Parts: sequence; C-alpha cells; structure tokens
Amino acid sequence: MRTLSELKQGSEAEITGINCGKDFSRRLCDLGIFEGTKLTVMKNDNFGPIIIHVLNSKIAIGRGEASKIHAKTLN
Amino acid sequence: MQKHSIKIGIVGNPNTGKSTLFNALTGARQHVGNWPGKTIEKKEGVFTHNNHAIKIIDLPGSYSLTAYTEEETITSQFILEERPDAIIQILDAQNLERNLFMTIQLIELGAPLVIAINMLDLAEESGIKIDTKKLSTLLGVPVVRIAAKNKKGIKDLLDTAINHSASSRKTGIKLKYGEDIDRELIKIKDFLKIQKHESPSPEWTAIKLLEQDLRIEQEMVKKPYYFDLKRESDNSIANLEKIFGKDINTILAQTRYGFIKGLAKETIRQEKEESITKSDKADKILTNKFLGLPIFMLIAWIIFQITFKLSKPLSHLIELFIAEISERLTSILASLNASEWLRSMVIDGIIGGVGGMLTFTPIIGILFLIIAILEDSGYMSRVAYLMDKFMHKIGLHGKAFIPMILGFGCNVPGIMATRTLESKRDRLIAILINPFMSCGARLPVYAMFTAAFFSANEGLIVFSLYGLGIVIAILSGLFFKKIFSKKLSTPFVIELPPYRWPAVTGITIHALSKMWIFIKKAGTIILAFSILIWLMANLPQGVEYGSEESIVGILGKAISPIFKPLGFGTWEASVALLFGLVAKEVVVGTFGTLYGIAGTGDTQSLSTILQQNFTPLSAYSFMVFTLLYIPCIATLATIKKETNSWKWMFFSVFYSTLTAWIIAFLIYQTGKLLGFN
Repeated sequence: MRTLSELKQGSEAEITGINCGKDFSRRLCDLGIFEGTKLTVMKNDNFGPIIIHVLNSKIAIGRGEASKIHAKTLN
Repeated sequence: MQKHSIKIGIVGNPNTGKSTLFNALTGARQHVGNWPGKTIEKKEGVFTHNNHAIKIIDLPGSYSLTAYTEEETITSQFILEERPDAIIQILDAQNLERNLFMTIQLIELGAPLVIAINMLDLAEESGIKIDTKKLSTLLGVPVVRIAAKNKKGIKDLLDTAINHSASSRKTGIKLKYGEDIDRELIKIKDFLKIQKHESPSPEWTAIKLLEQDLRIEQEMVKKPYYFDLKRESDNSIANLEKIFGKDINTILAQTRYGFIKGLAKETIRQEKEESITKSDKADKILTNKFLGLPIFMLIAWIIFQITFKLSKPLSHLIELFIAEISERLTSILASLNASEWLRSMVIDGIIGGVGGMLTFTPIIGILFLIIAILEDSGYMSRVAYLMDKFMHKIGLHGKAFIPMILGFGCNVPGIMATRTLESKRDRLIAILINPFMSCGARLPVYAMFTAAFFSANEGLIVFSLYGLGIVIAILSGLFFKKIFSKKLSTPFVIELPPYRWPAVTGITIHALSKMWIFIKKAGTIILAFSILIWLMANLPQGVEYGSEESIVGILGKAISPIFKPLGFGTWEASVALLFGLVAKEVVVGTFGTLYGIAGTGDTQSLSTILQQNFTPLSAYSFMVFTLLYIPCIATLATIKKETNSWKWMFFSVFYSTLTAWIIAFLIYQTGKLLGFN
C-alpha cells in the first residue's frame, strides 16, 4: 500500500483509503475523490503539489494532503 | 402588460462558465453587493423577457450543496428561504459526471431546477456525445443546450425556466440510497414527524443531518428537541459507518457517484480515446518544476509594466480633468461670494483628497482586467499550484500568493483579490499581511528621500525597502499562523481547468464593476476623512493651513516624542505621517507645504531642507516607518469591508504601527551603535 504522493508520474491507481480530517475528506468526496476512485497521476515531480486526472479533469492536491491518501497502482 | 416577476438563481461548479452565462443574461445591468452578513459577493441583474420582469441572482460557485463553512450555506439557504421561481444549474459538458453530483443534491432539495449544458462544442471536439433528451427524461428535469460565450440557447433557456416555474414544482427523480441508508433516513424522518418539524423536504433534512451539514445544524440547534435529534442522527451515522466500514461522507458520495455512473453510461458516449490535449502540452511547460516559476515571474513583470504604462496617461487625463473641475469650482465659488473657509474646504479638502484617490482608478481597472484574463484563461490556478510549496511555509496555500503580487501595485485590489480564498482564516491572514507589500503610493516617498540622501545607490535602497516589506509579510504570516487556530485551514485542492480564451464582455464588466466599487469608496469614506483632516489642519480659526498652531500641528507636536527614538522627532515629520494616512504619497506633499516650498516643484531646495532636518540614518528609518505603519485610509476601508469587521481593521492599525515602530527603532538604534548617522 502506498500513498498518492509516492506514485510515479503516469501511473494509474485506485484509492484504497483516505486517512485525513473529516473536513478535507468531505471536500475530496465532493470532487469525486474517495475510496474506489480510479485516477491517473499526471504530475509528480517530488516537489510541491501533485496533479491527478480524475473524472475528466485535472486536480492539484497539496503534497501533505496527498500523503494521506492511500492507493494501489493498477498497471 | 407586465406579468408577475420571476426570480431565478444560477448555480454551478467553478469553471463551468457561470459568470459568462450571468453576463450573457443580464449584460451590464448588474448590481454587485454582499450577501447579508457575509463577505461573499452577491451579483444580481434585472431585465425583462417576453413581458416578464426577471431577476437573476448569481449564487457562489461550488462543487456541492453540503455546507462545511458559513459561506457555503448561501446557496441552500437561498433556495429554501427565498423560494426562487427557478434554479438554473450550468453544467460543463466535458465534465458532466462531477457536475451531476450537485444536480442530484439540487433535485433532493426540491429546487425548481433547469439544467443548462454548456461547452458542448468543446466536448464534441474531444469526442464526447451527450444525449440531452435522455438525460432530461432520466433526471426528470428540463435540459437546455447552450453556448454561454456565443450567447446561443439563452432565449430557449429563459423560456424553459419561465415555463418550468409556472408548472407544478414536483419534478425530478428520487435517488435510492439502498436499504441500509433508507432505513436510517426513515428513522430520522419519523422522529421529525413526531416532533412536528416543519420542512419543505423531510428527505433533504434527513440526508443533511447524516452529512452533518452546517446550515441544518444552525437551524436545528434552536429547536427544543435538538439534543434528541442529534443523538438520533449520530446513532444512524454510527450504525452506517459500522455496516459499511467507512465514514458517512464516503458512503454517501459512493452512492451518489454510483448513480451518476449509471446515468452517464446511458447518456454519454466517448467516441475517441482520450488524447493529449493542447492544455496538457501547455501544462508540460507552464507547470514545469524548473521553467514554471521563471515563466510566472516574467508574466508578473510584464503585467506590472503594462498596468503602470497603460494607466499613466489615463491617470494623467483624470488629473487634468480634476484640475479643470477644481478651477471651475473656484470661479463658481468666487462668483457666489462663498467664504474663504468654504472655498478652501471644497478645493483643498474635498478635491485634494477625493480627486487624488480617483487618479488611482485606471490602475485598479487595468489590474483587475488583467487578473480577470489570467483567471478566465485558467492560468491563475497554475500559479496557485506553483506557489503552493512556498506559501505553505507561512501557513497559507498557493492561492494566497496572487493577492500579495497585486499588493505591489496597490493594496486595495490586493485585499479585494483575497476573495478567491475559501476559508475565513486564510482570507484574514492574507488580508492582514497585504499592507506590508510596498504599494506604488510609497514610491514617491522613497524617491524624495533617496534623492536627498542616497543619490549614489538609489536603486539598492528602494529595493531593500521592497525586500523588507516582503520579509515582514512572511514573518507576520508565520506569526498569524501560530496565533490563529490551525483547524480552520483549508487544505490545498484546486481544479486545473483546461486553458481557454477569456470572454471579452465578461472580463470588461468585471473590471468596470471593480472600478465602480473603488469610486464609490472614494465618494464616501475617503470624502469623510478628507474633510476631517482638512478641518484639523484649519482649526482653530485663523491659523495657517497645517501650521504648528493648527490642530494637526498641535497633534504632531504631541506625538512627536514617540518618534524621537526612531530618529525623526520633529513635529513636521509627525504631521507628514498623520497626513500620510489619507494616502502615503501625501507625505511628500506635506513636507512640501510644511517647509514652505509648496507648488514650486523645486526638488533641489526640498533636498536641502530635508538634509538639514534628517540624517541618512533617520531618513532610512523614516522610510521604513512609512513602508510599515498604518495602511492608508483606502486600504483600511477595504479591510473593514472585506473582513466585515471593525475589529480587524483596528487590529491592522495597531499591529502595523507597532511593527513599524519596533523595526524602525531597531534599525535606527543599531545603526547609531554601529557608528552610522
């Protein structure tokens, strides 16, 4: 099990759990990011926020926040 | 004949073209105000369509109807309490699934919903086909195809909304949450029925109780059965979380998105495989780890050049215009045999104060025009992305960087631009540190002193002041981060929309409305303060304007000991600082008046007199104080307006003055110890 911040650029993944405060997880839910969501990591240059592709749009998530989202790679 | 008036609200996700639709519907007939008791902008437009008087209200852009913060209660409160005749939700065809999340909530709420699907052309370009008829049937609400930017489908949309408002309200499907959730919803609904709780939609109330929505919480806390109800809903939440093994919001979101997936399967066809778009290519460069920041710095520099170059001739025109008015008024007042007293108040006080402020309107307008272009094009969210890492260090996230940049031009638009931040705490910090960004009005003060004392290295001295401002802003950010509770901070998540060409009418209207807000302020608050300061400079009767015997002079003398340890304990310096409250560049003019060389434009003699009254060290200390002390009245008025509180305005006065005093003290005293003078 890895966190979103550890995933390589270009990898496809499925979220397996979100381990952060209620407020933040609710916001992610509204954006369609929750347990079971499939996504592509568009950008992770180990510096600053990461960019994911989910539901046909790009979302930037702070590095700290991304390290609280667990995911497994699909490819 | 006029039929009854119709009230329509517009909702939608950010970046769907909501503002463009609002502008297409209302044109320039807009009124911008604030939602009562909140710091969120409220835009309204009134017009007639087919003999109907129509009032359109633009609701805040959002991804969901669930309220976590005070600001997010606005939309559901509006729908439930103001009972609009129709709610238009604008959907981005390229991103239908995420947009439908809110649609479902709107239907649950029982909103008289009409869906407007926007940007179908772009979606079709990327191979997405949407069966809008089927979507309408499946959701049970009317669906209209529009192109907000080209104003296509607008008439059809209005007709549909008007017809829909006349027909019976009960439309829309009911989302099935499944046996387990339904069981808990029924429990809550039964409880509410026993308590005879009045609600337009018990189902909605029950769902919101499960979501722990802030607005419903605020409504229920007043009820006598609040604690029992709370126990009931907490029980239900605990039950569900145990059954599903995850938290309640995830359960609800999964159910809703599950339903949407089914809906999408029936109505959306993706014909082409997703390919790398132009946006993706642009992002490769613009968000690059190494190139991103330098490109942004270059763009920021260009923006500054454009803003100041373009606004200079315009400001000059306004100056000429004001001079003309001033002359006309002088002759009118003279022909009316007005007293010297009245003449001076109108010309020196009002025209001098308000007129001076008005010359800033072109800067404000152009700056906001450019910001609107950056925002509309999608680049602004990339800037937030680029600056996030750095801004984290001072307890803010990337979005808070934009207002700081704007502050270099003028703190007023800088503070106004903090509206893009969602959380109150973030906004407050961003507002309070903004005045330390050295605005354009402080430059004349630096220019005057550097010319007199530091002519060999002017650039370096001015640069050091800008740098000091940034350092103080950062340190203050760190300090505020410590004293404000961390809990309220919103984490950084931001959608990066595809790059688009901005809508010209939209950004023009936006810039004009910002200018208008500023002009209104000049006409009210600044007018009042200008008169006050003029009075203080002229009383008691018979004294020379701003002289040692006037109230300002006496005040200056009284406070001058405070500045003695900073190296500038003369009453003239104190008076200049007092006048600098109107606008910081007034400091320059005040020295001119007080040293008796007003209007001669003789900088040589001003330099000589300054050299007699200041040392290089005390001059630097004075510049530092000017940089950091109380922001000008326009900025203070903006802080008051944007924080909606006098408390924070006075806090800013106190905090900035104390900071200014301490820093200037340290610089002057250390300098003296080191043998400078």
